[in-house]
Amino acid sequence: MPSQIVSLVVNGEPREFIARPGTTLLTILRESLGLTAAKRGCAQGSCGTCTVLVDDRPATACLVAVETVADHSVRTLEGVASDGNLDEVQSSFVDNFATQCGFCTAGMIMVAEALLDRDPDPSEEDVIEAISGNVCRCTGYRPIVIAILDAARRRREAGVEPGRPAEEAVSR
Amino acid sequence: MIQAVHLPESPEAAAVHSARGGWIMGGGTVVMPLVNSGAAIRNELVSLRRAGLAGIEVRDGVARIGAAAPLSSVKEHPGLGFLRPALRTIASPTIRNLATVGGNLFVAQPYGDLAVCLLALGATCEITGPGGRREAPVADVLASGVAEGEFVTAVVAALPEPGTWYYHKAMRRRLNSASIVTVASVTHTADGVVTSTRTALGGVAPRPVRAVSAERLMRGRPLSPEVLTEAGQAARADTAPFDDAYASAWYRSRVLPVHLRRAFIG
Ligand SMILES: Cc1cc2nc3c(=O)[nH]c(=O)nc-3n(C[C@H](O)[C@H](O)[C@H](O)COP(=O)(O)OP(=O)(O)OC[C@H]3O[C@@H](n4cnc5c(N)ncnc54)[C@H](O)[C@@H]3O)c2cc1C
Ligand code: FES
Ligand code: FES
Repeated sequence: MPSQIVSLVVNGEPREFIARPGTTLLTILRESLGLTAAKRGCAQGSCGTCTVLVDDRPATACLVAVETVADHSVRTLEGVASDGNLDEVQSSFVDNFATQCGFCTAGMIMVAEALLDRDPDPSEEDVIEAISGNVCRCTGYRPIVIAILDAARRRREAGVEPGRPAEEAVSR
Repeated sequence: MIQAVHLPESPEAAAVHSARGGWIMGGGTVVMPLVNSGAAIRNELVSLRRAGLAGIEVRDGVARIGAAAPLSSVKEHPGLGFLRPALRTIASPTIRNLATVGGNLFVAQPYGDLAVCLLALGATCEITGPGGRREAPVADVLASGVAEGEFVTAVVAALPEPGTWYYHKAMRRRLNSASIVTVASVTHTADGVVTSTRTALGGVAPRPVRAVSAERLMRGRPLSPEVLTEAGQAARADTAPFDDAYASAWYRSRVLPVHLRRAFIG
């Protein structure tokens, strides 16, 4: 089967691209769409640096053959800030020193976005479980957990509605 | 190099591609790493994502779980609360959004923790293939797979009665780690004495196995530390442990009795 045209809704916008069979969502985001926040760490599902939201649920983009999510919605770190203003999770990562080299950061933030969209008041245990598929090699997990809990507090205080509840799983 | 990714919209259409040699893919959490590293065993993939196999029904004490249901849906299903602690021990929430029930039956140990649960539950697999549909006990599918061109469309299991379900997974880390020993069991007692037990083990053999020797020792006796230690030692006869990056075969065998006991009495 030759390459084909695939469309996705990426950060709210319809995008089309040409993909060879079996190309991963990660490759398309990075190489066809120029969205390089999601990183390729292991290409095996083990490190979480490639995590994006597919239909509002975290998914390791390196394990998703892009045809299988054609026409679905994908959110990446590039879609999180609006008008150049960092959102609560992003600013909380900065303020709480939860990012150093930044390699894990896009994945960590996307997991946190999905968690807080579903549960505005997660416990520390919930946060730890949510990030359990994401490896950080330099900051350490403690500041990241603190930053996500702090982001939750900031959102609650700002009255941010828990948005985009993801009742439907990625696979349909 | 992958030449095609098929997205059939029904199990019958999936069967056509499967019969032609396409590689069935559920969530792809095992298949895609092989594709990415160039080690895929076939050059056509058949994704079950749109084949209508992701539904979960729980009715009259029986659960029917579509093979393409992601593990996160199983974990969140209100009728399957007893499986929630087990699902929490499988990978991370991110992987559980992709990984499917059907795929869990075919992954190499030390993965396949849900398969261990399904074995303990005595589940049945619904299978579609070139010869039409058939059913087979999950034990058979775990032991010898399915035939060329066949794939699992659903698993069906009776829910365990309250107080009869036991699960414990020993791993290196508290979350997101492969199995050292996984124990799942449906065990009935009357007046503290075991009347029946179906106990399955993961992490200690190439495939999930029934701990038949342990079951034999438990029947008619109380779930006491002594009986469980004896049963755990006997269970070694049912295993064929292996070395891997998580543990040696020696270690797995050594700690098996401890974890079997912990599954029942903490
Ligand atoms: C980081 C990481 C951590 C993991 N941790 C765990 C863990 O703790 N416990 C655990 O049990 N697993 C774990 N896994 C393994 C895996 O994610 C799960 O076992 C999962 O359930 C596999 O399902 P899948 O749909 O993704 O499989 P796929 O990759 O889609 O398929 C796996 C195999 O099963 C076959 N297959 C899939 N569906 C069917 C079907 N319906 N009928 C017939 N054959 C089929 C495929 O052809 C393939 O050979 C982990 C994986 C990763 C990447
Ligand atoms: S690159 Fe996808 S999980 Fe590591
Ligand atoms: S900030 Fe460097 S890996 Fe996490």
